[in-house]
Amino acid sequence: MADMLLELAGITKTYPGVVALDDVSLRVMRGEVLGLIGENGAGKSTLMKILGGVAEPTAGVIRIDGRDHRALTVAGATRAGIAFVHQELNLFENLDVASNVFIGRERLRGGPLMLLDNRAQHARVAPLLERLGADFAPDTPVELLSIAQRQMVEIAKALSVDARVIIMDEPTSSLTLSETERLLRVVADLKAAGVAIIFITHRLAEIMTCADRVVVLRDGRTVGELARGELSHGAMIRLMIGRDLKSLYLPPQSEPRPGGCDIAGLVTSAFPDRSIDLSVRHGEILGLAGLVGAGRTSFARTVFGIDRRLAGEVRLDGAPVRIASPRDAIRQGIYLVPEDRKRAGLVLDMPIRENITLADLLHHARLLLIDRGSETRVARAQAASLGIKAPGVETQAVTLSGGNQQKVVLAKWLSMQPRVVIFDEPTRGIDVGAKTEIYALMRGLADRGVAIAMISSDMEEVIGVSDRIAVMHEGRISGVLDRARFSEYNVLRLAIGQALEPAETAEDMT
Amino acid sequence: MRKFVAPLLAGVLAAGLLAGSAAVEAQQKKTLVLVTNAASDFWTFARRGIEKAQKEHPDYRMEMIVTGQATAAEQRRELDDLLARGVSGISLSVDDAAHATEELNKVAAKAVLFTTDSDAPQSNRVAYIGTDNVAAGRNAGNEIKKALPDGGRIMLFVGTLDADNARERVQGIREALAGTKVEIIDVRTDQVDFTKAKSNVEDTLAKYPDISLLSGLWSYNTPEIYDAVKAAGKCGKVKIVGFDEDPRTLRGISEGCVQSTIVQQPFEFGYLSMVNMIKYMNGDKSFLPADHKIIVPTRIIDKANVAEFTAYVKKLLGK
Amino acid sequence: MRKELGLLLLLVVVSAITAAINPLFLSGVNLLDMANLIGLFGVFSIGEGLTIITGGIDLSIGSMFALLGVVFVDLLTEYQMAWPLALLIIIAGGVLLGGLQAFLITRLRMQPFIVTLCGLLIYRGAARYYTTDSTRGFGYGDEADTLRSLAAGHLYGIPNTFLFLVILAVVMGVVLHRSVYGRYLFAVGKNEEAARFSGIRTGLVIAGAYVLSGGLAGVSTVLLVFYTNSVSPSSFGNFYELYAIAAAVLGGCSLRGGEGSIIGIVLGTALLQVLQNLVNILGIPSSLNFAVMGTVILLGVLADQQLQARRKLAAAQASTARAAAAPALARQGQQT
Repeated sequence: MADMLLELAGITKTYPGVVALDDVSLRVMRGEVLGLIGENGAGKSTLMKILGGVAEPTAGVIRIDGRDHRALTVAGATRAGIAFVHQELNLFENLDVASNVFIGRERLRGGPLMLLDNRAQHARVAPLLERLGADFAPDTPVELLSIAQRQMVEIAKALSVDARVIIMDEPTSSLTLSETERLLRVVADLKAAGVAIIFITHRLAEIMTCADRVVVLRDGRTVGELARGELSHGAMIRLMIGRDLKSLYLPPQSEPRPGGCDIAGLVTSAFPDRSIDLSVRHGEILGLAGLVGAGRTSFARTVFGIDRRLAGEVRLDGAPVRIASPRDAIRQGIYLVPEDRKRAGLVLDMPIRENITLADLLHHARLLLIDRGSETRVARAQAASLGIKAPGVETQAVTLSGGNQQKVVLAKWLSMQPRVVIFDEPTRGIDVGAKTEIYALMRGLADRGVAIAMISSDMEEVIGVSDRIAVMHEGRISGVLDRARFSEYNVLRLAIGQALEPAETAEDMT
Repeated sequence: MRKFVAPLLAGVLAAGLLAGSAAVEAQQKKTLVLVTNAASDFWTFARRGIEKAQKEHPDYRMEMIVTGQATAAEQRRELDDLLARGVSGISLSVDDAAHATEELNKVAAKAVLFTTDSDAPQSNRVAYIGTDNVAAGRNAGNEIKKALPDGGRIMLFVGTLDADNARERVQGIREALAGTKVEIIDVRTDQVDFTKAKSNVEDTLAKYPDISLLSGLWSYNTPEIYDAVKAAGKCGKVKIVGFDEDPRTLRGISEGCVQSTIVQQPFEFGYLSMVNMIKYMNGDKSFLPADHKIIVPTRIIDKANVAEFTAYVKKLLGK
Repeated sequence: MRKELGLLLLLVVVSAITAAINPLFLSGVNLLDMANLIGLFGVFSIGEGLTIITGGIDLSIGSMFALLGVVFVDLLTEYQMAWPLALLIIIAGGVLLGGLQAFLITRLRMQPFIVTLCGLLIYRGAARYYTTDSTRGFGYGDEADTLRSLAAGHLYGIPNTFLFLVILAVVMGVVLHRSVYGRYLFAVGKNEEAARFSGIRTGLVIAGAYVLSGGLAGVSTVLLVFYTNSVSPSSFGNFYELYAIAAAVLGGCSLRGGEGSIIGIVLGTALLQVLQNLVNILGIPSSLNFAVMGTVILLGVLADQQLQARRKLAAAQASTARAAAAPALARQGQQT
C-alpha cells in the first residue's frame, strides 16, 4: 500500500437530472501508467475534473497519503502533486513559455518591490524542456508554438510542480506520429522516475504500447480492469461498449423513396484538403457517427450555409441548389437543428411562441405587423403535437428542461415545409423519456418523406435509430454501413480510421 | 516586428517632410497667433481685425486658433503645440488665469506673449489688450439701474464662472448696484450649452414669476434670454440687459425687448494684438502703458444707436 | 414591464418631493417647458435606444447635430432654400451618416463603439472647419416661419415637440413591439447566432437601426436648431449622446442588447429632464447640475436592483423547496 499514491473510493457525481458517475473507484500506484478509456460521455472527464479539483463529488472519498478528502480544490490538488494536462490547452498565448509554466506561482525578486525574476524562471524551465526533447527556448512566446509544442509546455508545467500524478487527457490528439513517439518515451521516462500517469485516450494502439493497467468506464461506472498481459483491441472494445442493445429502432413505414439530398465533393473550411460525398434519401434516417473533431458539425454547418463552402455542390432531387446563407438553405427546405441549442437553436429569453415562429415570421404577419393570433395558434398546435410540457406558449424558453427546449427547436422547423433536416446531437443532455419521443418524431418526419441526417456521438442512439450509418474520420467519410453490418465495433473501427475487416458482422460479436 | 517596418518607414518619411516644410516656412516668415478662450462669433470680429493687420504687414504670418471646449487643458495643448512650431508671438484669451501662470511663463520665455479679452496678470505677459471687464460690468450695472429705478430682483446668466471676464463682469455689476434696491438672486451657468442656456432662463421665469430683469454675460446668453422672454410673452415686463452684439440681441434692442447691450471691440483686440506684437518684436515699446494694460473702451448700444451699429456690424462680418 | 414601472415610480417620487419643496414645479409654465425639452431630447433618445437594442451603440449623434445643424442654418439663411427642401436634405444627411456607419459595422465588421466614436470626432471637426469655428444663427430676419412654427410652436398650449415625440413613440412602439422588424431586432440583439441560424438577415436588421438613428438625429437637429436659434459647431449637441444613452439604459435597454421598450426610453428622458429642471427650480447651484443627476440616478438604480435581488431570492427559495419534494433523479448515461 506504500506504493499507492491516491485512491478514489465510491465516487458518485450527479447533475440535475443526470448521474454522471456512479460509485466509481480507482487506485493509482506509484510509477505506473494507468489507461482510462470509455466512450464519449462515459464519465472520464468528470472523474478527472474531480481529481483535479475542478468539480466536487456528490458522494465518495478521495484518499491521498492516507488522508481522506471529501473534495479537492485546484490548489489542494496541486499541493497533493496532481497535475492536469488538458485536452483544450490552457495556455496564455501572449506570454512566453516560462511565464506560462510559472503562472500563478511566479518567482519574485527584489524583496518588497516584488519584481518578476525572469532569469530564475527561465533557468528552471530550460532543463525541463530539454528533458522533454523540446526544440524551443523558455523565452519563446507561446503564440508561435505549434499544438504539439504547446502540449509539451503543459507537460513541462506539470513537471515543474514536481507532480506525482500527471493526468493526460487525449494528449496525442493533435500530434504527428513522431511527436507521439516522443511523448510516449517521455511517459516511459516519467514512469521510471516514479511518477504515475493517468492516460486518457481513444487511441487504443497507444494504450497497448505504454499502459500497465487499463480501467474501462461505461455509463458512469467502472466495468472492468485489464492488466498489461490481458490487453488487446478486442478485449478493450468489448468492455467499452458491451451493453444490452435496447431496441430503439422504429422501422420505417415504407421503403426510402428515390431522390433526396446528394452532397458531392463538399469541401469545408475546417478540412480544406478533404472532400465529402454523401447521399441522404427521402424517408430515411442516416446516422452520422465519428469521434469528436471528425468534422461532422462542420459538414452540417457548411451544408446549411453557415460556414463557407470551399468546393462541391449540394443537390436536391437531382437539381443543384445554391446555398450561400442559412436563408438560402431554409428557402430550399433544408433545416439544421444545431448542436448547441441554447446558443444557436433558441433565443432563451423569448417565449416559446416567439421561438417557434422565428424562422417563418413573415408568414404570420400582415403588412409587416405580427399577427399574434396566428402565431399563438401555430405555436399551440406544435406544442400539442410534439408534447412540449410547459404552462403555455408564453413561457420563456430558458425555464424549460433540455428535452422540451429541443422540442421547441424542432417545432420551429416542423411548422414549415422540411425536405431535409440535419440533427446535430439531437438528444444531448436529454432524459430517456424525452429521447424516445424525439426519436418517434424523427421517424414520423421520415415517413412523411423528409430526408434526415442525424449526427450523434451516442453509440446506442446511432445504432438504434438510424437506417444507415455514415462514419466520418478526420474530415472525410470513412465508410457507410447498412443495417446488416451495424455493430458498435464496426462503427468504432471506422471512427478511428481503420478499415472494416470484410468478414466481421454483428453475428461475430458475442 | 517585421510588419512594423513599412509603416514606420512611411511615418518617418512623412514626419520628415512635414517638419522640413514647416521649418522652411517658419524660417521664411515669423508667425503670430491669436488664441481664443472659446468659440463664438465674438472672435469672428477679431479675425477681421487680424485680417486688416495681415494686409498691413504681409511679411508676417498671422493665424487665429479657436479653443472650442473653452477649457484650460485644451489651451495648454494648443500653446505647447505652438511653441513646438516655433511661433514668434502669441496673443491669448486665457481660460483659467489663476492656474495658468506656470504655463504662460513658459510661453513668455520662448515667444512674445500678450493676453487679450481675458487676462492673467500674474504671468510674464508683455501686455493685456482688452476690455476692462469690471468697468464693463459697471456699465451694465448702470444700465440695470436705469431700467429698474425702483429696484427689483434680477438673475445673471453666463457659461462658466471659471473665466476671469465672467467674474469681473459680475463684480462690476455688483459694484454698480451696491446700495440700490436691486437684488441679484444668483448666477446660473450653462457650460456653453445653448440649449441649457435657454432652459435656465425658462426655469428662472417659472420659478420667479415676478422677476424684473435678466442679464446675459456672454455673447450667446443674451439672445437666448431674448428668445425665451419673447416666447413667454413677457417682453417689456421682464427687462433684459446684456453683453456683446449677437444679431438677435441687436434685433431685441430695436424692438424694445432688450434695454441695451455692452459691446466690446473685438475687432480691435485682433488688430491691436498683431500690430503691437510686431512693434514689440522690433523694439518699439512706445505703445506700452505703465501698468501693461491697453484698455479698449466698451460702448453702450441702446435704442438710440442700434440701427447704425447694426449696419456697421453687418459690413464688418460681410453679411 | 417591471423596469418601466420602477422608473415611473422614481420619476413620481422625485417629482413629488420637488413639488413639495417648491409648488411652482407643477406650474403650467414649468410643465410645458419640461414637456418641450422632453420632446427635444426624446426623439433622438429613441434612435439611440434602437442601436442599443441591437447590442451596439451610437456615440456620434451629438456631433451629427453640430454638422447637420450648421448646414441647416446655412441652407435657410445663406442659400435662402425653401424649407421643405432644406428639411429633406438634413434628414437625408442623417440617414446617410447613419448608413455609412451601418456599412462599416455590418459589412466591414467594425465595432460600433469605434465607428461611432470616430463619427463623434469627425462630424464635429467637419462642422467646425465648415464654419471656421463661427456660430451660425437665425439673426437678422425671420427665416422659415412655417417650419419654425411647426418645430417650435404649440397646439392648444402643448409644445409641438412633445406632440411629435408622442406620435413618434406610438409609431416606434408599434414597430418595435408589434412588427416583424421589431421582433428581428430583439432576436438579433439577444442572440445574433440563433437569429442567423433561423434565416434572419442579421446585417440588414442591424443596419436598419443605425439608419433610423441617423434619420431621427436629422429630425432632432431641426427641432434643436429652432429652439436655440443658433448653432455653435464646437458646442452644439456636445455630449447629448450621453443623455440619450442614459435615458435608454434607465428605460430598460440593456447595453448587452436584446432588451428595451419605447415607453422606458421616454420615461428615462423625462427623468433626466426633471432632474435638470429641479436643480433650477430648487435653486441648487448650477455647478451641481450633473452631480445631482448622477446621484439621483445612482440611488434610483441601486434601490431598484436591491428590490430585484430580494425578489429573485424569494423566488429561488420557493423553487428549491419545490424541487426538494420532487422524486429521486432518474439514472442517465449521457453526461460529459
